[in-house]
Amino acid sequence: MAWPILEEEHVSTPPVPLSIADLVDIPTRARIRAVELVGGLGLGYLGQVFSSGEILTVLLGSFVRPGIDRFVLSPSHYVTAMYAVAAELGLLDERLLETYGIDGSDLETIGSERTPVVDFTCGSLAQGLSVGIGYALANRIAGSDARTVVFGSDGEMEEGQTWEAAMFAAHHGLGDLTLVLDCNDSQVDGPVSSVTTVEPIVDKWRAFGWHALEVDGHDLAAIRSALDSDAASPRVVIARTTATAGLDTLAGLDDAHFIKIDAGLRGSLSDELAGRL
Amino acid sequence: MLRPAPYETVLKPYGTALLDLALRRDDIVCLGADLTRQTETDMFRDRLPERFFNAGMAEANLVGMAAGLARAGLKPFVNTFGVFATRRPFDQVAMSVAYPNLPVRLVGFMPGLSSPGGPSHQATDDVALMRSLPNMTVIDVADASEVSAVVSEIVDLEGPVYLRLKRGEIPVMFDETYRLDLTRALVIEPEGEVVIVASGMMLAPAIKAREVAAEHGIAAGLVYVPVVKPLDAATILESVAGSKGVVTAENHSIIGGLGSAVAEVLAEAGSGVRLRRVGVQDRYATAGSRPYLFREFGLSSRRLLEVIWELTGTSDPVPELAEVTVETPGVHEPV
Repeated sequence: MAWPILEEEHVSTPPVPLSIADLVDIPTRARIRAVELVGGLGLGYLGQVFSSGEILTVLLGSFVRPGIDRFVLSPSHYVTAMYAVAAELGLLDERLLETYGIDGSDLETIGSERTPVVDFTCGSLAQGLSVGIGYALANRIAGSDARTVVFGSDGEMEEGQTWEAAMFAAHHGLGDLTLVLDCNDSQVDGPVSSVTTVEPIVDKWRAFGWHALEVDGHDLAAIRSALDSDAASPRVVIARTTATAGLDTLAGLDDAHFIKIDAGLRGSLSDELAGRL
Repeated sequence: MLRPAPYETVLKPYGTALLDLALRRDDIVCLGADLTRQTETDMFRDRLPERFFNAGMAEANLVGMAAGLARAGLKPFVNTFGVFATRRPFDQVAMSVAYPNLPVRLVGFMPGLSSPGGPSHQATDDVALMRSLPNMTVIDVADASEVSAVVSEIVDLEGPVYLRLKRGEIPVMFDETYRLDLTRALVIEPEGEVVIVASGMMLAPAIKAREVAAEHGIAAGLVYVPVVKPLDAATILESVAGSKGVVTAENHSIIGGLGSAVAEVLAEAGSGVRLRRVGVQDRYATAGSRPYLFREFGLSSRRLLEVIWELTGTSDPVPELAEVTVETPGVHEPV
């Protein structure tokens, strides 16, 4: 990941990758921060930080090497989760975070070309894996062993481009390419499984020639371990998550994809999350 | 500057030029989608296989990969037919390439009705689609020397480029004094009661129509526009000032391409000059040979003459032209 050129004044010096033990509180802290960010606007993409807090913490905190590796955020409405995690890891300036969602801010609520902290954002879904392949090919041409990490989501498997890219990457044996899929079973119209059948996800990727590992997406050590697995083929980490992160406050929520959050809900969520620290 | 018609042709000038450039510069990469020989990139594949990537029939992924390669500092040339370069992956071109302003060179072969394959293979809306995207440069050249030159001319342009190219045999229309200039429309004939503004494969019929009109005492100006976007509006406005009318000529739908671009310029300048757009008239074509399609769908010298006669109020009958019905290898005869 190249730390953003455009927003250099707003990001901190990339830290030494942290150990998993150093990261245990980061997902919860990031969720509290995201509740503040989205709560300030009254609505937004909040379910994504509940499902992906651990995944992004491991990727940004311990795996992606700043200045060496590339990080593509394919579903860029996850960007609020990215901001929150990056801020907790000390990668994003607090002053910039205060502008989140405000007209004219570089911190837009859906990631864009202005977004710091990521190498490519794709608001139109399922375009990120192809871009990641481009990075991986460029590394191969340059003789570099840098990693390319693409963060993706289960809903994106509904788009045909995902499978065009999957075929290509396996055919070319792009072993330095890793896709991490947040399988939170959540899309705009409800659970992914109610809209169409994307399962069996692991079998699908294996059938396409990928090294596929399924993990509990809320388990930091399990995610890191899967990322460290050795493979000559491209790897996909299928991270099983929930868009409510087991929070009682959100139990029974129909649509965690885009949440309206009033002062009451904001307080309840913050309190319940604080209790986890 | 212009050679006389019929024109000799050159075979595969694009493929040769791209390979020559890539042999000099190691930042050039070549991508395609199962149309390697058809896009003249077999030479590149055979000579520089480590920089050649065949996506297969998967244009969405093709364009996305090019975006990643470009963001990593390389100069990807993406080669396929125009229809597959623009219609099929439009969202990918818009969001992964044009919006981030990446230096991807999208090369679309078989423009307009140059393909005998019918609507699935005839790129009649590619200019409209690409012209609508911010940051995109849109180029539609006519002549073989331009095809050779344009590869080097666009490689270091800022942002993405859409280049539409005829396949295979390309006419040599300009002599050696001509130099392609991507910043200017070329005024071939400054004076005229009417002015033809032509791009791409319609330059040859436009030259022929202008000559025939002159033989019948009607002077027509001629402006050649190899770059449809950004359009050299100043040259066009200067050329048409005081004329009785403007005729645009494009191997493309009259909606969204050169005709629309010129209409916008004329209207916004308040020029008050009448405009006729010669091109595909908001319809899908059929399969057929180039002479047949260009004649039947109004992309001909004859059609241009009809419009010139109308704009100048000429009451004499529009001259009949010898019909071009077959294509001779090595020769390009304007229809």
